[in-house]
Amino acid sequence: MAQCVQSVQEFVQDSFVPMVAVLCSEEAERVTRKNNLNFAELLRPFCRLTSEGHMRDPNNQVQVVKNLRIFVNNVVTSPNRPPTALSHAQSKILNEVVLSCQPQEGVVNNVVTAGDYDLNFSATTPWFETYRENFLQSMPASDHEFLNHYLACLLVVSSTEAVPVEQFLKLSQEQHRIQHSGEYTNPKWFIPNTLKYYVLLHDMSEGDEQRADAVYEDMKQRYGSQGCYLLKMNTRSFSAEGDEQIPDPWSQYLQRNILHTQVRTAASSTLSGSLESHPLQLDITSSSGSLHTLGAVKTELKKGARDPESLAGGAGSHGACLTLNDHDHIRQFIQEFTFRGLLPHIEKNIRQLNDQVKTLILKIWEMPPKHFCSCPEYPKTMTSSWYPPEAPELQIRKMADLCFLVQHYELAYSCYHTAKKDFLSDQAMLYAAGALEMAAVSAFLQAGAPRPYPAHYMDTAIQTYRDVCKNMVLAERCVLLNAEILKSQGKYSDAATLLIKMTSEDSDLRSALLLEQAAHCFINMRNPMVRKFAFHMILAGHRFSKAGQRRHALRCYCQAMQVYKERSWSLAEDHINFTIGRQSFTLRQPEKAVIAFRQILTNDSRQTATQQSAFLREYLYVYKVTTFTPDGLSLPQLPLPCIHCSATRVYFGHERRLAEGEKQAATHVSLDQEYDQDSADMWCHLEEQLVAAANRGIVPVNFQPTQCCLNSQTDNQRHPLAVVEEPIIVEVTFRNPLKVSLALSNLSLLWRFTADDAPPSKEKMTNELAITNEEILALGVGVYSGFFVLCCHINIHSVDLLLPTGQQTFDVMVVHGKQDLMIQGPRLNQTKEDKMTVRHGHDQRLNFIVTSPMPLMEIFFLQFPTALLCGEIRKAYVEFCNVSSVALCGLRVVSTHPDFFSFGSQATTPLTPVSPTSAENNSAYKTLATPPQSGSAAFEMLVSAEDFSQPSGVIDIPIDGSTLQPGESTQLPLWLRGPDQEGVHEINFLFYYESTGKGNKISHRVLRHTVFICASRSLSVQASACRSCVPPHHSLGDKGGGGTLIFIDVENINMSEAGMREFHIVQVSSSSQHWRLHKCINPAKDKDCKLTSRERAKLCFRATRCKPQKGTPYRINKPYLSALFQYMIISSSTPCGDFFFRGCQTSESHKSQSCVSTEDRSSDITNIVRKCNELDLNIIVIWKAYVVEDNKQLILEGQLHVALQTIGKEASSLTPREMVLLKFKSQLPPPVILPSAELSQLVKTSLHYPETYTHPFVQDSLCVVPVTLTLSNCSLAQVDVIIDLRHKGTSPETLEVHSSFTWVGQTQYKLQLKPQEVLCLTLQACFLQAGVYNLNTPRVFAKPAEQGAMCETSQQTASPSLIFINNA
Amino acid sequence: MAVCIAVIAKENYPLYIRSVPTQNELKFHYTVHTSLDVVEEKISAVGKSLGDQRELYLGLLYPTEDYKVYGYVTNSKVKFVIVVDSSNTSLRDNEIRSMFRKLHNSFTDVMCNPFHNPGDQIQSKAFDGIVSGMMVQTG
Repeated sequence: MAQCVQSVQEFVQDSFVPMVAVLCSEEAERVTRKNNLNFAELLRPFCRLTSEGHMRDPNNQVQVVKNLRIFVNNVVTSPNRPPTALSHAQSKILNEVVLSCQPQEGVVNNVVTAGDYDLNFSATTPWFETYRENFLQSMPASDHEFLNHYLACLLVVSSTEAVPVEQFLKLSQEQHRIQHSGEYTNPKWFIPNTLKYYVLLHDMSEGDEQRADAVYEDMKQRYGSQGCYLLKMNTRSFSAEGDEQIPDPWSQYLQRNILHTQVRTAASSTLSGSLESHPLQLDITSSSGSLHTLGAVKTELKKGARDPESLAGGAGSHGACLTLNDHDHIRQFIQEFTFRGLLPHIEKNIRQLNDQVKTLILKIWEMPPKHFCSCPEYPKTMTSSWYPPEAPELQIRKMADLCFLVQHYELAYSCYHTAKKDFLSDQAMLYAAGALEMAAVSAFLQAGAPRPYPAHYMDTAIQTYRDVCKNMVLAERCVLLNAEILKSQGKYSDAATLLIKMTSEDSDLRSALLLEQAAHCFINMRNPMVRKFAFHMILAGHRFSKAGQRRHALRCYCQAMQVYKERSWSLAEDHINFTIGRQSFTLRQPEKAVIAFRQILTNDSRQTATQQSAFLREYLYVYKVTTFTPDGLSLPQLPLPCIHCSATRVYFGHERRLAEGEKQAATHVSLDQEYDQDSADMWCHLEEQLVAAANRGIVPVNFQPTQCCLNSQTDNQRHPLAVVEEPIIVEVTFRNPLKVSLALSNLSLLWRFTADDAPPSKEKMTNELAITNEEILALGVGVYSGFFVLCCHINIHSVDLLLPTGQQTFDVMVVHGKQDLMIQGPRLNQTKEDKMTVRHGHDQRLNFIVTSPMPLMEIFFLQFPTALLCGEIRKAYVEFCNVSSVALCGLRVVSTHPDFFSFGSQATTPLTPVSPTSAENNSAYKTLATPPQSGSAAFEMLVSAEDFSQPSGVIDIPIDGSTLQPGESTQLPLWLRGPDQEGVHEINFLFYYESTGKGNKISHRVLRHTVFICASRSLSVQASACRSCVPPHHSLGDKGGGGTLIFIDVENINMSEAGMREFHIVQVSSSSQHWRLHKCINPAKDKDCKLTSRERAKLCFRATRCKPQKGTPYRINKPYLSALFQYMIISSSTPCGDFFFRGCQTSESHKSQSCVSTEDRSSDITNIVRKCNELDLNIIVIWKAYVVEDNKQLILEGQLHVALQTIGKEASSLTPREMVLLKFKSQLPPPVILPSAELSQLVKTSLHYPETYTHPFVQDSLCVVPVTLTLSNCSLAQVDVIIDLRHKGTSPETLEVHSSFTWVGQTQYKLQLKPQEVLCLTLQACFLQAGVYNLNTPRVFAKPAEQGAMCETSQQTASPSLIFINNA
Repeated sequence: MAVCIAVIAKENYPLYIRSVPTQNELKFHYTVHTSLDVVEEKISAVGKSLGDQRELYLGLLYPTEDYKVYGYVTNSKVKFVIVVDSSNTSLRDNEIRSMFRKLHNSFTDVMCNPFHNPGDQIQSKAFDGIVSGMMVQTG
């Protein structure tokens, strides 16, 4: 139970007070009416006695009566028997009382913390106390108890009466008639000879005071000084001092009296009708129409609702003619009456009764039991047994009641106890219950408490009242008393059970109040039972609403909500919210209703679709009513659909068209692309390269990568920069959490703009939605402050676009509202504080800064292929358009595949004009007509590598004048070369440009382009070089031992047999700084090298070293030209040269990377050796392919590069897939071992001798053949050479084999060869007989000069040199 | 048999509630929620005296007019509540006990599922089957 203002003792005492009746003459009534009061009302504020009274009990002990209150009431006669239930009028009054007593706004509620619940509710329930007080006062008098029977009667006569004494007599007779005639059962009188107290009322303002005094003297004579009183009042004239403020003690007492008199025609009964349903059931069928009826009822409610203020105002005029002195007079009168009249009267009666009872008890004891039991007057077996008024049991009870009223609880208890026993033995249950109840109460009120509170008495009493006597009023009184007493003893659990038991179907108001009190009991327990509290609050709320107490109902539900809120008991939560919403709506608190309904809709609902649609409909209705006033500016928030704020994407720039006829626009960034961290990093890296190139190699400190599309993953900490006159596209993601379809229309984006003085303006956006039937709508184009246009696009996801279905002729409710876009930044997790708490960063996605105009470029590609053969060269065009009104410059591009494309190089203007055949052949290459000396001498050209290569990956785009004026567009050719690796390649371009004007907030802009190229296999070129064994003098006049053979294997590895017909090798070019490729020395003399599928061709060339030239330009020549084509491709110019050099660069960068580690450990020897073997020759194989595609023959061209690094090592155009071995850094480098194979290449040896030698062995048994040993130093260092002709005698086999011939002459030479020196030694071999001999037996050891002998290695070549010796 | 079976998390939010007369679902939600007060009262009363020797089965929590509510609390403070029709007198305490034990076993299986996220609503079909077996078969 809630806390009460009164203490328990006060409450119980006040529940049972001596009753005093009032009989007034008409004249007296008139006098009191001046104050707008009747006499009983006039006395009421003064009925509590402040001083102590004294009386003697039957044992002559003085008993103190403290804080006594009497209750004065007009005699209202009625012939009816007392009802066992409250009359309809009485219940209405109670209802009004509760209705008018509402919790005050702003009252500080106390907070109860139980477990993890923090509940906020008012601890006091004044409405309950008011109800209780009123209920107890309106108790009908009953026969089985005397407590609310009248003890005395005040007879009031005015002094203005002609003969007041006569009037007194009349009134006295009247009283006697009422009490004794038997016409009226009501009112009831305590004792047959009721105390009559004669009061003369004197109106000071009009009556003659002296006359009144005289009459009073007369009265004193007649009735004794203790039986009469002269009350003087109305000293103040009504009009004279009207504005004097005098406290009005009546207002609080009289409020209910006014209610009594008011005819209640308000539609309280109709109001309660619409919400009657089971408390735990959401009635769907009734809910559909209920709010509409509620709307109709609202006006009635307005009429019916009377707020307490107006009631108080109506009662304000009480006691207008009374001065404070008069108040004192009245107070004195009451005191006089009580102490002089009432208490002595009671004392006398107690004495009398005591004597009577004593004798009665004695009599009873004397009586034989048989007689006693068969007493015919008392039908004892009946539950509603009825005693005659003079029955001794009733006398005991009467005495007990009297004792109780004058606070003599000890005596009262013993009497009640005796009476109880008697009644029980008589089976007079109602009487027994009454005695039990009062026995318990008086036991509780005994000051010293000699016995514990007999709670079981109360339980029995309640049960008897309720079940046996069916008297709910008495049962309720008993419950109220008992509950209060239990509460005072801390027995909340018992109290709650008691209160809950008392709830029943017959009275909603009572049930509601008791349930609420029970709920308070649960929360006040030592271990607060929060959930029980909440549940009973809900039950109470339901009963309140049934009783028409909407405010109380709403309050109960709100209090219960605190427990259910956000605990994922969603069904219960929905129910409560729904009820709160409805109640709030009917109470004209639509804002609250809207909030409650929103909760239902935003929760992740577990309700069924029909239920949800009902909720939605109610919400929409309420919402519509609430927001009927269209003030336009502040639209209310809508809960649906859910906006996924963090998924909002912002895109800066126009929506891009991807293709325009043949033109293919740069892909740039579009909203369709998913954000990918890797690619973002890649673009950022590319942009960094570009910015570095634009700023002379240094990336500015404040560099920030351009972000065109902002989403939840991008870095949104800074304000994004938007450019004036460029659109911003905002993509908002919606979700419909309901199972019901929602139709959206008229979506628009709300934004706010704050202009600065300076051109860089700030713009802020908030978004607003309504609803649309299209997936993407571009709306809300607004022009602001004349210089920028904002275009808002909204992309709606996952919103079902349906009207509410399944409704018969249901007019679609359309509401208009907004939703805020609040984007929370990512959770911070840097500092310790961040980690300990949940903090979020800023997200400035929607807070743009609008800057001054910037150039905007669009790029289109023409004839851009999607599939290429490996190495295929294709010419495409790229068009740059400046679509803005600002000139742009500094056009650059960077790509992830720099060797994929070329804009051509400006430096290499062709030496000879391009032949017309170039256009005819539709070739990407620049060609020349076949020169006349074709085949004999290769066309040679010196080219510097710098002409082609760019210092970094960034390529400046050569546009005319290097700026692009507004609206201007320029087209450039673009050569593409298919990647060497087959497969699909993603190639990313990043174009860079900047404004010609300086000082912009945005330093530059970029444009992205991504292409996917599918490369398929074409040719595989494998080249190897080996030293030719041909002696130098056989070679074509070249000096030195540089004669090297280059073998090129070309294989058609194209897999598609269908379209690909054949490949032709058009041209082979070489490019090297030191080497020159000579004419083809193919054994097969075919002039055209044609390769069909899986065919392989071999080309052979001779290469010679040429003198190094200043600046080491690349020598490019074309030793092979296909005879089929009557032209020559200028491989030194664009595009051939571009791609070649770009390819070189990448491969060199690879090489330099791999060589770094070996460089430091390389000794001189290895250096020398490597130098010796270094070839550094690049071969370009240019091919043509005939492809049939769509029944059309296409000629494709391409080029493949092979870089020969060393002699003897095979190189391929296909770079093998590199397998990266995992290596640990700690691994020691392998010990330096001179690679013998490499060393063996230091010196090239060759034997020159006649192939056949005829010698007449008959004549001369010794045949001596001169053999020339040619030694050529391949290296660039001095080499010591040892030649040993002696056979090695280690192996017997070799000995046997070689014993047939022998070297004669000097058998050992020690020579030193200068760099690249060729030396001839003449040796002599001696043969003994004819045969075939292998002359290759000399062992040659070479070592670089100034090196230890350790390094000597055999320079013997493996191939045998056979000589035929014939016998002549 | 039971008319409503509920599993409540340690933090007192429902992990699983199933009731047989589905139109009265809300009522059972309220009943189960309110019973948590009694469960807590019982745990706090027993917990102190016996420590971890606590009996998991709490017995009858409270009778309402139409139903009897039984409770069971695992050692990890997960609550099982079974609501039984008052008119059903055939159910003995022992049977209720074994129902709870079965429920507990099945719940343990759910928790052992590596794909189950502790604290999420129980959506296991096996658990559903066990519960269905214990519910009143209507029609």
